[in-house]
Amino acid sequence: MYRQKYLFLLPGLLVLVAIILFPLLFTIRVSFSSWDVYNPGLNWVGGENYGRLWEDARYWEALLRLTGLTVGTVLLQYTLGFALALLVWREVVARRLFRVLFLIPMMTTPVVMSVLWRTIFHESLGPLNPILEGIGIGAVPWLSQSTWSFIAVMIVEIWQWTPFMFLLLLAGLLSLPNEPFLAAKIDGAGPIRTFLSVTFPMLGAISVGAILIRLIEASKIMETVYVLTSGGPGTSTETSSYYIYIRGMRDFQIGYSAALSLTYLIIMIVTLTIVAKLLVRALVRDQA
Amino acid sequence: MAEIRLANLAHAYGNGSYALKPLDMTWRNGGTYALLGPSGCGKSTMLNIISGLLKPSEGRVLFDGQDVTDKDTGARNIAQVFQVPVIYRSMTVADNLAFPLVCRGVPAARIKARVTAVAERLGLARHLTARANRLTADQKQLISLGRGLVREDVSAVLLDEPLTVIDPQMKFELRKTLKEINREFGLTMVLVTHDQNEALTFADTVVVMNHGEVIQAGSPQELFDRPATAHVGTFIGSPAMNFLPATVEGDRVVLAGTGLSSPLPPGSGPLTFGFRPEHVGTTEGMALDGRIARLWFEGAEQIASIETAGHVFRARLPGTTASVGDRLSLRLPISALRLYRDERLVA
Repeated sequence: MYRQKYLFLLPGLLVLVAIILFPLLFTIRVSFSSWDVYNPGLNWVGGENYGRLWEDARYWEALLRLTGLTVGTVLLQYTLGFALALLVWREVVARRLFRVLFLIPMMTTPVVMSVLWRTIFHESLGPLNPILEGIGIGAVPWLSQSTWSFIAVMIVEIWQWTPFMFLLLLAGLLSLPNEPFLAAKIDGAGPIRTFLSVTFPMLGAISVGAILIRLIEASKIMETVYVLTSGGPGTSTETSSYYIYIRGMRDFQIGYSAALSLTYLIIMIVTLTIVAKLLVRALVRDQA
Repeated sequence: MAEIRLANLAHAYGNGSYALKPLDMTWRNGGTYALLGPSGCGKSTMLNIISGLLKPSEGRVLFDGQDVTDKDTGARNIAQVFQVPVIYRSMTVADNLAFPLVCRGVPAARIKARVTAVAERLGLARHLTARANRLTADQKQLISLGRGLVREDVSAVLLDEPLTVIDPQMKFELRKTLKEINREFGLTMVLVTHDQNEALTFADTVVVMNHGEVIQAGSPQELFDRPATAHVGTFIGSPAMNFLPATVEGDRVVLAGTGLSSPLPPGSGPLTFGFRPEHVGTTEGMALDGRIARLWFEGAEQIASIETAGHVFRARLPGTTASVGDRLSLRLPISALRLYRDERLVA
C-alpha cells in the first residue's frame, strides 16, 4: 500500500545527492589520485597525498595560525558584543539608532569591507598611520610585518563580526524575564553580582550558540586574508582555507588539495564537537 | 517587621491617568493583607511601590513611621515572592538561600546557621546541596520565600500571586506554610491575588481594588456581610450576591411582587436591593416566594435560581428534595437586606 510514497521523497533525495553526497564522495576519491594540471584524471596513488600532507609543515602551521586567529577573534567578538548589548539593552538615549549603527559592519560585503580596510591600513597612503603618528604612537607596518599583519586581519574580523554577537546577545537579553532582576535587587545584589549570578547564567545557552556559530564561520575565513594580505607577508597570515585554495586553485594540484580539504574537514568536525560539548558543560550548567 | 503606612499615595504612569488613585492606609505589624482585584486594577502597582521597584508619583510610603519613599529596594528590607518562581538557576538551594546574606556581607558562619534554620523550617533541608532548578515549582516558591526569611531584618513579605503556577494540591500546602510562617515570625504579609478564595482564606484584611481604586478594605466577614459596592458583592462570595432593581413607593423602597421593603434613604439615583444567596431561608423575615428555575448541586447544599415576579435571584438551600418547577415559600431576614444607590451601599 502507498508504495509510491517514496516517489515523493525523490526530489529532496536527488538534491541531497547532487549537492552533498556526490561532491563529498568524489573528493574522497580524488584525494587518492595524483590529479594535477599535467596529468588530469582519476588514477590511483593510494595514500601518497596523505603521506605528503603529514610532512607538509606549511599546512599544519596554517592550521595552528587559524586556531589562534579563530579563538582570539571569537573571544574578543563575544566580549565586545556582550558589552555593547549590555550598553543598549536598558533605557539609553537613542538606543534604536545605536542598535542599527552597530549592525552596519555585518551588512557589508566581506570583500568590499576588506578592500576598505586595506586602504585604511595602507602604510603610505592610508589614513590610519598619519593619525597614529599624530597622537604620538608612530606609524605601524600594518601589512608588511608578520605580527602586525596578523593583528590587522584580526582587527578586520572583529570589526566585521562583533555585530553578529551583539545581535544574538541583545536578542537574548531582551527575551529575559524581568522578575529575576527584581529579585536580585530585593536581595541586595549590586550590578556586578547581578551580572554574574543572573544575567550571565541566563544567557549561557545563547552564548554557546553564538560562539559555536562564530567558531564555525571564523574557521572558514578566506576573503579577508585574500584581499587584505594574500596570506603574506610570506605565509604569516595564511590560514587553512587559503592554503587549500592556493594548492587547489592556483597550483592546480587537485588530488593533493582534496586530501588537504578532507583532513581539514575531519579535524574541524572533531574539534568543534569537542568544543561544543565543553562549552555546554561550562556555560549551560542548569540544562545539563 | 514593620507597620506599613501609605500616606496619600497615588501613582500615574507617563500618560497622566492614575494607575493607582490617591489612598491612605495603614497596615499593622504582623498582619496578613490581601490585595484583591481583576488584572490591571492597580494591585501590582501598589505592591511595586511598597517594594520600591516603582517610585510613586504622589504621596509617601512609611515603614514604622520612617519615610522610605526615596529608599532603594535593597535598603527597604522587604522580601518579595513573584508569580513565577525566581531562583538563581546556576546555584544550589543552599547558595540561593544564602544569596541575600552574601550580598549584605554577613559572616559565613552566621549565613550557614540561618540557611540551615530556614531550610529546616521550610522543609528544604534535604535539598540543600541540590541545584535549585531541579526542584518542583512549589519548592522553588519556597526558596523565593526562604530568601526573604533568612534575613532577620525583613519588614514585610510581599507575595505577588505566588500560588498561580502551583499545582492545586500543593497550593493548599503552600498557603498553609505561608500562614504558619506569618504567625511564627510575626511578619507583615501582603498577598496580591485575583482569586477571592485565596484572599479570603489567607488574609485578616482584604483590600478590594478595581480601576486603580481601593473600593473596600475589611475583614472577610465584613466584605461578605456589607459589600461597599455592587462590584464587591459580585466579586466576593460564590455564588455572587443578588442585586435586584428596587422601586420607590411613598417613603419606602420595595421590590415589586415580593415582601422586600426598606425605608427610603435620602439622595437620588437608581436603587438596588442586595442580599446574599446564603441568607435566604424559610423561617423568618420578608416574603420572597418563587419558582425554582434551575438547580446546581453543591454537596450538602444546592444553589437554586429562583424566579419571582419577573426577577431572578439565587439562593443557597440545604439539601432539599425540591426540584425544578417547584414553588417555594422563602424568607429573607431584615438584617440581611442591603440597599445600594448607584451601586454604592446606602443601607
